[in-house]
Amino acid sequence: MPEQTTVDAIVVGAGPAGSAAATVLARHGYSVILLERGSFPGSKNMYGGVVYPRILDQLHPEWWLEAPIQRWVTRRSTMVLTDTQAVTVDFRSTDWGAPPYNGATAYRPDWDHWLAGKAEADGALLVCSTTATGLLRDGSGRVVGVTTDRPDGDLHARVVIACDGVNSFLAKEAGLYGEVDAANYTLGVKETIALPKDVIDERFAVRGRDGVDIEILGGTSGVNGGGFIYTNLDTLSVGVVLKLPKLGAQKLRPEQIIANLKAHPAIAPLVEGGEIKEYSAHVIPEAGLSMMPTMTADGMLVAGDAAAMCLAAGIWLEGVNFAMASGMYAGEAAAEALEAGDTSAGGLAGYERRLNDTFVLRDHRKLHRAPALVLSDRVQHRYPAMIANTVERMFRVDNPSPKPGLRRILNEERKRAGVRIRDLAKDTLDGLRTFG
Amino acid sequence: MIALIPVRDGVLPAGAAETISECHGFALIAGSGTDDVVLEGIAATALLVELGSFAPAGWTAALTPILRQLAEQDVDTDIVVLPHSPDGRDLAPRLALALDRPLMSGATEVSAHRVRVARRGGLELHEQRPIGPFVATLQPGARGPVTHDGQTAVARIDLVATSTATHDAHVVEVLPPDVQTMDLSEARRIVGGGAGLDTAERFAQLDRFAAAIGGVMGATRVITDRSWVHHNRQIGTTGVVVDPVLYLAFGISGAVQHTSGLGHPDHIISVNTEPHCPMMAMSDLAIVADANQTLEELLALLEEADDRAREDADA
Amino acid sequence: MRIAVCWKWVSLDRDHDVDERWAGVSAADEAALEIALLLRDAFDDCDVEVICLGPKDADDVLRSALAVGATSARRIDASAELDGHTVSAALADHLHGADLVVCGDYSIDRGTGSVPVFLAAELGAAQALGLIDVDLASAATMPLRVVRRLDGGRRELLDVSLPAVLSVEGSVARLRRAPLAASLASRSIAIAAVPGPHGRPAEAEVHPYRPRARTLPAPTGGPLTRVREILDIGGDDGHAETVTLDPPAAAGRILDQLREWGY
Ligand SMILES: Cc1cc2nc3c(=O)[nH]c(=O)nc-3n(C[C@H](O)[C@H](O)[C@H](O)COP(=O)(O)OP(=O)(O)OC[C@H]3O[C@@H](n4cnc5c(N)ncnc54)[C@H](O)[C@@H]3O)c2cc1C
Ligand SMILES: Cc1cc2nc3c(=O)[nH]c(=O)nc-3n(C[C@H](O)[C@H](O)[C@H](O)COP(=O)(O)OP(=O)(O)OC[C@H]3O[C@@H](n4cnc5c(N)ncnc54)[C@H](O)[C@@H]3O)c2cc1C
Ligand SMILES: Nc1ncnc2c1ncn2[C@@H]1O[C@H](COP(=O)(O)O)[C@@H](O)[C@H]1O
Repeated sequence: MPEQTTVDAIVVGAGPAGSAAATVLARHGYSVILLERGSFPGSKNMYGGVVYPRILDQLHPEWWLEAPIQRWVTRRSTMVLTDTQAVTVDFRSTDWGAPPYNGATAYRPDWDHWLAGKAEADGALLVCSTTATGLLRDGSGRVVGVTTDRPDGDLHARVVIACDGVNSFLAKEAGLYGEVDAANYTLGVKETIALPKDVIDERFAVRGRDGVDIEILGGTSGVNGGGFIYTNLDTLSVGVVLKLPKLGAQKLRPEQIIANLKAHPAIAPLVEGGEIKEYSAHVIPEAGLSMMPTMTADGMLVAGDAAAMCLAAGIWLEGVNFAMASGMYAGEAAAEALEAGDTSAGGLAGYERRLNDTFVLRDHRKLHRAPALVLSDRVQHRYPAMIANTVERMFRVDNPSPKPGLRRILNEERKRAGVRIRDLAKDTLDGLRTFG
Repeated sequence: MIALIPVRDGVLPAGAAETISECHGFALIAGSGTDDVVLEGIAATALLVELGSFAPAGWTAALTPILRQLAEQDVDTDIVVLPHSPDGRDLAPRLALALDRPLMSGATEVSAHRVRVARRGGLELHEQRPIGPFVATLQPGARGPVTHDGQTAVARIDLVATSTATHDAHVVEVLPPDVQTMDLSEARRIVGGGAGLDTAERFAQLDRFAAAIGGVMGATRVITDRSWVHHNRQIGTTGVVVDPVLYLAFGISGAVQHTSGLGHPDHIISVNTEPHCPMMAMSDLAIVADANQTLEELLALLEEADDRAREDADA
Repeated sequence: MRIAVCWKWVSLDRDHDVDERWAGVSAADEAALEIALLLRDAFDDCDVEVICLGPKDADDVLRSALAVGATSARRIDASAELDGHTVSAALADHLHGADLVVCGDYSIDRGTGSVPVFLAAELGAAQALGLIDVDLASAATMPLRVVRRLDGGRRELLDVSLPAVLSVEGSVARLRRAPLAASLASRSIAIAAVPGPHGRPAEAEVHPYRPRARTLPAPTGGPLTRVREILDIGGDDGHAETVTLDPPAAAGRILDQLREWGY
């Protein structure tokens, strides 16, 4: 019988959440094992493509000197598409292209590998190609470790932090989730499309390491959702986020929806001639607050997507930063509990306190209506045409007819799109409450 | 330049004719049953040497003095080319070592001044410029045989006695291809699948599609290695060598070891997301599309057609 | 009894160069170790040694070999890509006295399968290469009974006595997983490295693969037939057509084309 392997903490999943948690614990001097099922951190992980690493100022000051980024996002566009029209709001800032930066595009196999490397450098023990298969509990039901898919693979610890991503198997096994509702999830699919760097620079009007983030409303073939295009150095990330029950009902394949998006007259010139290098799909926890699990159990914490921390408010898709932050706070709370010698749910309560006091849950509370609003049928199917037609008529020159007033156009287009005043007012108010 | 062709019981290995062509019709046929080998239309001049059952160390010990002797008789043996068949691959490095020459393994083209060898599973060609004599192996299928018309001049060579003791494995038995495999090698229409297909189930679909168009299913080695499909369905140098009239390739990159087992189909259709891979380059119709979805659509179309046929029959 | 396994450190992902993330050993090399470990049980007092000619970064895979149960691991230091003969000569220097050497049947990058043959020749060993089956029970009685793949779907049964070099296909066996504790313990093991050959990598111009233009049979018939022949057979690019289609259109196109060709 081999000796029982016991450490202070086990972190399951070397995604952004797990690596942040492990870093903090290791820095506090605790022995920590970071388990990852992939052959290296990030090997199988996918996402849209933009990270907002501000939170790293605390964990890895001056992170931008070494983080494996592709381009700094200095241009952010929001596009509203109908079949033949496009309205774009375009923002550019040179400030975002200089320290301390705002957002960046990065590949997950680079980013996750780098973050996990930092945790290792701080003393965490990274174990790859190893999947946690279940929880170990003592007689009282308290979590005391995990089982893995390796021979003699049981691992014991005083605290386990589950950072195993969306659909967290560990959080469910610990009974932290209630009923799972498919409506709480969206499906993200994306293509990585190769184009020479100078072609990307040209088409997106950027230079050097500057890059573009385009979020798209409409253009998803009638399935509620949104689209995105991000620039990497010599590839584009082009994808869509689709509401699950709708997708099932529409009998449209996700890749067909991407193909339709790429064929849109406003998008086609951007992606033309590119070679598809990769196609990937992943589920996103979309419902935020309303689907979050209980965050702590005796001997266990949940962070990142495993705790539905991803902020997916329609055209907002921020998950990596929420994962890194919640992981970091989980690490701090676990260290605090280990120090005090009490890793029961009560001893770990510092975690929720930290989440509540910081942007993590504050943003979620503030934006908790956003997913429902942005993915609602009206926003999805009626407003794009209303907006696009309104703008079209504003800019159309109809001589000899005189120019109509904006209010009149808006009113006519609202009617044409079948939007009732009452609903428009309500949605506007919701929008103001949510985003205001 | 001389082709060295290892034969077993008079059966030529894959790529024998091409190797002889590459050497302008001049061959040394070595092995068992050399008298039974059919050389008409393949070789201009053939030297036969009987060596018994396959034994790479023993054969090397026997062939080395023969090649040296030929050189002394001013026969051009500066370049010795073997087919890159399993036996050729087994023999060539030993010969190179015994003759103290470099080995150019897995070539697609051999001449005195330029040798192109396939690397990275056939995705790259490395062009080498040899200086002095060398031994090479030629990928079957890379050249395409040129038939030789006219007589074959045949001469028998006697073994030179050697005292070298050699240690070889003992051949117990050669098993013929099994029925399923025969099926594939004789099929006129073949539908092949490669790593572009994403699950084992796709191959069941591929099988159905193949059956629907009156063909059989085959696969690349990547697939047979994953055990998604039995090894006897592997097309290529180390699998079954086929010679269909029609070949449809789904998600196959066209590594030389695969295409070399393909024979010379009249028509090739390839479905691949990568327009520039070798399989697409050698297709009559190259379709850039997702092979998985295309396969599903094909099955759906065929089912529709079936339904219609049934309705027509009912009406 | 001494069994040695040769592991080549390669990039497992075609789109990436060898770096610590994408590199490892091929399925065939993994299978080779599993066969060696299985055979070890048939012999008393048997060591399994894993040897790799490669750069320092390859130490990680050698540690994983130890975690999985190899007795010892050794690296011959070399960073450049060397030709098969130089590699095998360097490997052979350390393998004299081994009773059995197990290799993968071909490496992912060079992929010639020549290293095991060179090794057998250098070691004066019998060779049995490209195996698709190894009869483990036969190890108890020796000789070892193995099945080798020939061409055209034929297979060959071989009896192999020692010393011998085997090379196996990836499907022959699946490498067992390392126990967790062994895997953790292996991390701190220093891998012994010995200086390697100083050979220069073979100089070659590298091109993407293009099928070779087919040589045509000697002309028959008049000039017109000849021209037609050239157009038909040599027309790799001539009449080939490349189209980008979505799946339903692709499916339709395939069936149309098959009909047009008369299938
Ligand atoms: C299509 C799409 C687009 C997105 N776009 C963006 C974007 O542009 N910007 C952004 O910030 N966010 C984006 N997100 C969200 C973001 O990807 C996630 O919120 C973030 O990755 C969550 O990090 P995590 O560490 O919690 O989980 P993950 O990144 O999912 O990591 C979990 C890790 O745990 C490992 N693991 C899982 N189970 C086990 C187990 N049992 N044992 C061992 N290891 C295990 C996994 O291999 C993985 O490495 C997007 C998501 C999707 C799907
Ligand atoms: C000595 C030796 C002997 C060998 N013998 C054989 C043999 O007998 N037979 C054999 O087949 N191989 C053999 N091989 C292996 C050979 O070198 C190649 O590795 C193998 O043929 C590649 O198989 P593949 O085309 O399926 O895979 P890959 O080369 O990985 O190609 C997959 C292809 O699928 C495409 N693709 C990916 N996704 C999609 C999608 N969604 N839709 C459409 N296309 C897609 C990719 O663009 C790519 O072109 C041998 C190798 C060696 C060294
Ligand atoms: N550098 C190397 N170090 C150790 N083993 C090797 C090396 N190169 C080749 N081999 C072995 O030889 C086999 C065939 O390789 P190759 O001859 O390169 O196709 C591999 O599967 C390995 O088992």
